[in-house]
Amino acid sequence: MSSSRRSRQASSSSRINDDQITDLISKLRQSIPEIRQNRRSNTVSASKVLQETCNYIRNLNKEADDLSDRLSQLLETIDPNSPQAAIIRSLINE
Amino acid sequence: MQPTSSMKEEFLQKWQMGLQIYRPLIDNTSVSERMKAIKLSADVAMASLRRGTTCWSRALIQKTATEDNFLVRQMLSGIKAETLINKKLPKVMCHRKIVRRSKKILRRRKSRSAIEEVAAKARKLVNKKTQGLRNVVPGGEFMSNDVLLIQETLDYIVSLQTQVNVMRSIVDAAEAGSER
Repeated sequence: MSSSRRSRQASSSSRINDDQITDLISKLRQSIPEIRQNRRSNTVSASKVLQETCNYIRNLNKEADDLSDRLSQLLETIDPNSPQAAIIRSLINE
Repeated sequence: MQPTSSMKEEFLQKWQMGLQIYRPLIDNTSVSERMKAIKLSADVAMASLRRGTTCWSRALIQKTATEDNFLVRQMLSGIKAETLINKKLPKVMCHRKIVRRSKKILRRRKSRSAIEEVAAKARKLVNKKTQGLRNVVPGGEFMSNDVLLIQETLDYIVSLQTQVNVMRSIVDAAEAGSER
């Protein structure tokens, strides 16, 4: 008796989670430019969305690393009298 | 959700603060050390936007603190730096025993329709992909609850977009002039 009640509770709570997850995955789909731009239809599978999300996050991190690299190079080579030095100086000295 | 201009402004302010902390060192270090400093300040700036309310931001702060404890303390002074750095990451886990027990009960149901079979296969594939997500989101290894994981991912993405947006604008502007 109690075991069947428990199983009903377990399955109903996993059903709630499935709805939540579906909703969250559609939100993910909105956030990822590649999927948003390239697919008109709503038929992108959940696993595809998750895969693209991983790729997107990795790309963002890589871009941040790359930008840090470029900025550190700029600090090295910049002519201290140029306007772009002023930009960086205001970034650092403000 | 997209990065808002207030998020971008706050990120820029905090990032600036981090760079200023490094100012005395910037002139005397190698390019690669400088790059690391820039990246670390950007990460702490991004994480501090969340004021400790998300799992990923706490995990990122702790990770950065192991690489540069001084920087993190300076940047976070005033936002309960000590607790953020030292706090044990909450094990926000579904109690494994209960999950295992309820899965066993579910499995006892003998008849599974074809639809349920397909759904089970799809679920397995999704589980594999969410594991990949746990590897890229800071603190992901503590989020065994899928719903939490995806919520944190959404927030992490918006924060990363903010970070990259602002950094890109600064670097583009700075480089634009130098190509005369």
